[in-house]
Amino acid sequence: MSILEYNGGAVIAMKGKDCVAIASDLRYGIRLHTHGTNFPKVFEMGPRLYLGLPGLLTDTQTVHERLKFRLNLFELRENRPVSPKTFGAMVSNFLYERRFGPYFVEPVVAGLDEDGKPYLNVMDLIGCETETDDFVVSGVCNEQMYGMCESLWEPDLEPADLFETIAQALINGFDRNAGTGWGAIVHVIEKDKVTTRTVKTRMD
Amino acid sequence: MSSERYSFSLTTFSPSGKLVQIEYALAAVAAGAPSVGIKATNGVVIATENKFKSILADEHSIHKVEKVTNHIGMIYSGMGPDYRVLVKRARRAAQQYQLMYGTEIPTGQLVQRLAAVMQEYTQSGGVRPFGVSLLVCGWDHGRPRLFQCDPSGAYFAWKATAMGKNFINGRTFLEKRYGDTMELDDAVHTAVLTLKESFEGQMNENNIEIGIVNESGFRRLSPAEVKDYLANIV
Amino acid sequence: MMSVQTMQPGARETAAGGPRQRYFYPYADNGGTVVAIAGDDFVVVASDTRLSSGYSIYTRDQKKTFQLSERTILGSTGCWCDVLTMTKVLRARMQMYRHEHNKAMSTGAVAQLLSTMLYHKRFFPYYVSNVLAGLDENGKGIVYHYDPVGHHDPGKCYTGGSGGALIQPLLDNQINYKNQENVTPEPLTVKKTVSIIKDVFTSACERDIYTGDAVAIQVITKDGITEELFPLRRD
Repeated sequence: MSILEYNGGAVIAMKGKDCVAIASDLRYGIRLHTHGTNFPKVFEMGPRLYLGLPGLLTDTQTVHERLKFRLNLFELRENRPVSPKTFGAMVSNFLYERRFGPYFVEPVVAGLDEDGKPYLNVMDLIGCETETDDFVVSGVCNEQMYGMCESLWEPDLEPADLFETIAQALINGFDRNAGTGWGAIVHVIEKDKVTTRTVKTRMD
Repeated sequence: MSSERYSFSLTTFSPSGKLVQIEYALAAVAAGAPSVGIKATNGVVIATENKFKSILADEHSIHKVEKVTNHIGMIYSGMGPDYRVLVKRARRAAQQYQLMYGTEIPTGQLVQRLAAVMQEYTQSGGVRPFGVSLLVCGWDHGRPRLFQCDPSGAYFAWKATAMGKNFINGRTFLEKRYGDTMELDDAVHTAVLTLKESFEGQMNENNIEIGIVNESGFRRLSPAEVKDYLANIV
Repeated sequence: MMSVQTMQPGARETAAGGPRQRYFYPYADNGGTVVAIAGDDFVVVASDTRLSSGYSIYTRDQKKTFQLSERTILGSTGCWCDVLTMTKVLRARMQMYRHEHNKAMSTGAVAQLLSTMLYHKRFFPYYVSNVLAGLDENGKGIVYHYDPVGHHDPGKCYTGGSGGALIQPLLDNQINYKNQENVTPEPLTVKKTVSIIKDVFTSACERDIYTGDAVAIQVITKDGITEELFPLRRD
């Protein structure tokens, strides 16, 4: 069993029309044993910038803290908020520094850039970036989520429809995987607001 | 190691609180060739004298105007060798930023990093301050930028400025000629005029150098282009 | 490069004249996806038509469904040689049943027989993913899903094979209305079911390299079996 599957966990993100959404499950488990049901794997890194870190959850926390440290220094030094693209490069570099002893996380960067354009980026555990125009999935039930996304997603979804689409893709996807689930949290990022909802799901 | 005993910083406070080494460095700058920078609405120009001691010198193989990134360039007043060290450090800093963040370095960031290098040389052991002041121009997100960076590590953002020999006169001239709505062509013209104020001898395309930055990036003007600007000066 | 995939016995030398490690991988994974969805008076079974090994495609024209009787179809993917052997034995056993009982096997009986057959090879299993679909004694559609050693589960819609993980959550959501609130379930029609099957295969072959080329869709009703071939992407 891969270390990336030790704790379980799933993250998904999607582009919409002038908005972007990112969501994760809430399970915290060790192998097949569920310990907690309130462990979001998505973190707010800026007003319109979110970071998903599924994988080994000790690394999720460490990577989140260390990236927050780097990000704070960047924003103080440059006296401006970081753009999602730049932040993606930061995450990628951070991971590649540990090329031969990696953090076991596969990050997702989602946000709106300076012009309010949606940005999506997913990486492997050593920082190989993939930017997409539609959706990204990461974590242990990525196959299930890919299947959902390929059918449910369509271009230029409005925020309300985007929420429904991402929630359905995540929840139906993780219900078919034992390492994920136990509730979900969804952030829909728009130019003037971010809507965060926790979604109740089946708890088994 | 016994050599450590001699590795004290040479830049030591005088009893009156001055760092005379830095003042000497500024004196070296003030004795150096004049240079000018002007920010226009659609770009920035930097220009300097590039006189050669002998008519045998090959004028167009060594430059004072240097490109740092696609959208940043710089010139100096003061000591040429010290300048080249800083150009190297600037290019390195720019590439490091590009590698780290995947975007081009903002001009302000580059100046901040260069200033940090220059400051380090006012405090470290076994070194002397740089004998140059830099003019760094850039184009960031649709905006022109112009900075001066001194041997002390102090840096300033200007609309227009002059450095080097006769810089006081140059600034006075610019205060009269500068306008907020100036376009790049006009700014180049004004820069040449500012240099001309204190120029000894006949100014031609071989003894001045001009760099411009705008939307499409930084470049050094060719002698032919410089000649065209000179032709407009009566 | 693909030696691990091969079914040929081989040997690795550790030292000249020293001990040898023998290895033998009797299984191959030839990919493929099957989907079956049951309605009130019909059942639809579909499989893609790509047969592959590793990064190479053996054929673009091999469906993975097997008509076992007038009212039962088996979809089977995995190790293709196991699929062929298993279906051959299964057909023989069904023929024996016919001769002994003088009637065709019901779908439920085939389901039980298949489970027993798989369990008989509990310690050297057929490397297959089975989905059995048919009409029961009352003419109602029913689908069974199997693991390789005979555990089986009756249900309304199942999928198996390489694209199974991509498709199953979608069927839960669209056919069984999982995680949907305030919806009144509409009874399935053949037309809607076939349309959903086309959609899920189109989705699956976007991300699963072992699924593609075409999908063969078979519909069992009391009036017989019809078949349709729907093209998919071929890359």
